[in-house]
Amino acid sequence: MVSIGSITGRLHRDETDDEAETATDSDPDSPAASTLTGEGLVLGYPATEEPVVDGETIAAEEGAITALVGPNGSGKSTLLKGLANQLTPDDGSVLLDGRDIHTLDTKALARKLGLLSQESTSPDSITVEELVYHGRYPHRGFFEHVTEEDECAVDNAIDLAGCGHLRDREVGSLSGGQKQLAWIAMVLAQDTDVLLLDEPTTFLDLHHQLEVMEIIETLRDEREITIIVVLHDIEQAARLADRIVALRDGEVKASGPPEDVVTEQLLADVFEIDAEVDNTDRGPRVTPLGAIHDECGTD
Amino acid sequence: MSSPESTVGGEQPATVARLQDQFGWLFDPQLLAVAVGSLAVVVIGGLVQVSFGSYSMTILQAWQAVFNPDVLFNTQVWNAFLLGGELPEMSTESLIVWNIRLPRVFVAIIVGMNLAISGAIFQAVTRNELASPFILGVSSGAGLMILLTLVVFGGLTAFLPLIAAAGGAVAFLIVYGIAWKNGTSPVRLVLAGVIVGTVFNSLQTALFFFANDIGVVQSAIAWTTGSLTGTDWEQVRLALPWSVVAVLLGIVGSRQCNVLLLGEQTAKSLGMSIEKVRFALSGVAVLAAAASIAVAGIVGFVGLIVPHMVRNLVGSDYRKLMVGCLFVGPALMVGADVGARLALNPVQIPVGIVTGLVGGPYFLYLMRKQQQMGEL
Repeated sequence: MVSIGSITGRLHRDETDDEAETATDSDPDSPAASTLTGEGLVLGYPATEEPVVDGETIAAEEGAITALVGPNGSGKSTLLKGLANQLTPDDGSVLLDGRDIHTLDTKALARKLGLLSQESTSPDSITVEELVYHGRYPHRGFFEHVTEEDECAVDNAIDLAGCGHLRDREVGSLSGGQKQLAWIAMVLAQDTDVLLLDEPTTFLDLHHQLEVMEIIETLRDEREITIIVVLHDIEQAARLADRIVALRDGEVKASGPPEDVVTEQLLADVFEIDAEVDNTDRGPRVTPLGAIHDECGTD
Repeated sequence: MSSPESTVGGEQPATVARLQDQFGWLFDPQLLAVAVGSLAVVVIGGLVQVSFGSYSMTILQAWQAVFNPDVLFNTQVWNAFLLGGELPEMSTESLIVWNIRLPRVFVAIIVGMNLAISGAIFQAVTRNELASPFILGVSSGAGLMILLTLVVFGGLTAFLPLIAAAGGAVAFLIVYGIAWKNGTSPVRLVLAGVIVGTVFNSLQTALFFFANDIGVVQSAIAWTTGSLTGTDWEQVRLALPWSVVAVLLGIVGSRQCNVLLLGEQTAKSLGMSIEKVRFALSGVAVLAAAASIAVAGIVGFVGLIVPHMVRNLVGSDYRKLMVGCLFVGPALMVGADVGARLALNPVQIPVGIVTGLVGGPYFLYLMRKQQQMGEL
């Protein structure tokens, strides 16, 4: 299980983050964590004519958590898919540690960059352990058998995701929250430097939401993984992330530390809600007051 | 909190555990039960098959002939059977059993394996429980090419398996192409398969009109319904090499199948080159289907039902599923062929009719029992 102490761990980190940021500015090849940058990304689906994301640049801060927030249809999942090489950009490129991810071999990329999709399906009758072993796919050759390294990675991933007690359960018999933990363990077993998570807390009960958030914090604090996470809940994002990127209609409307981004003005502009924002020592606290209707909206 | 750096287990136990992990699944009690049960069906079916026939001999004589050591341990005999060499002298009973009745059982085993493997792979590639060589048009494509060969290009009969494979592959590509629209869906694949299958079946029927010989028509009908009548070592020799290749590749590919079942997105994010893997696996499935079609014609429902039965028994882990299919497929084929050959004695009916009569209702039962069917 992941301890609650990691939340306080995050608070300590906030101070060091500023230093880290200035350090990265002067030295882009900082060896510790990986960088992921999307430059001038134009992303769309073949079925739609207009691109969903039209020429946006986004950088994930290395070794930190970047949260993508925005209303439904703002293109945050699309942007994540583009960063994860699930969608081929019509224009622009995604750079992982300075290299275009399209030039990387698919397995080599999967060893560096992991993605947890929003809706993951698996056969009901496989066990959690078997599912987590699939995370080792990019590390194994075509004929290669399970190595000790694979076993360690799987054990660690299951430990870290706190689903040791579910190890031999069939995935089909798990609750939504437990399933999510199992899937998180699978991407953790992939052992990547960069992790992209698409709404990992949506549809989960509070307990599992917190558990997932704690796992993400642990990953940043102890493994220096660069994380981009799409979140529905802005307050959750403010609490979890070191940087927030707010999207609307496929455009980046604001980005920066939670305190700067989560403002009443931004909530009105991006989410079309009237809300009160109090800055507490647990980060900004959002109290939604009501929806802003179109006639008094900003567009 | 447990540290992520903590390693688990000492050196020795870890190695032992890993070996168990690698091969332990083979000793899954359900898989063993399936294997043993299927083997029993094959052996009993085989013994029944060798015991009856137009040449009358007692059951004892027939069984003695099966286990005749002069045949079993004679390399010259096996050379004749498997490589087509000259057959040495042997007793009439042995000759009848080993040269007429047993090859049919062996062909049934090979066909059962191939169809089951082919269906299992197609179901993983399309992530669709309803997929099978029959429903995805492969059988119709291969059947059409076989008919074309028999009726129009009589000289190419020696290359039947290759021609059938080509026909099956082309048909599958057409089906996939029609169903493809930013990815495929189970329903679209099945619909496209049914449509392409119908067109190809019409072409097959049309070809009958160009057959100038009633014998050709009869053999064509036997081909399109699937029959093991008159199969002998020639058919074993024809199908065996391809089957060995297809089965080995199918087993090797089972880990890829498992990852495919996690969905396109996950498979891709795990670094699988999804189109390549799908294409390669489909190729294996087409080869397996074609090898069986080349010797037995289009035997329906086996490729659809056997993976289902095995999945219900051992779960959806493709490593186990493939191995299970290697046993249950032959059991179904050998059992069905006993019915096809002996039920209406002395009239033999095509085995495809029996598998259809058994498989259709079983499939309906599955549809009723399962809440949702289609996507795997």
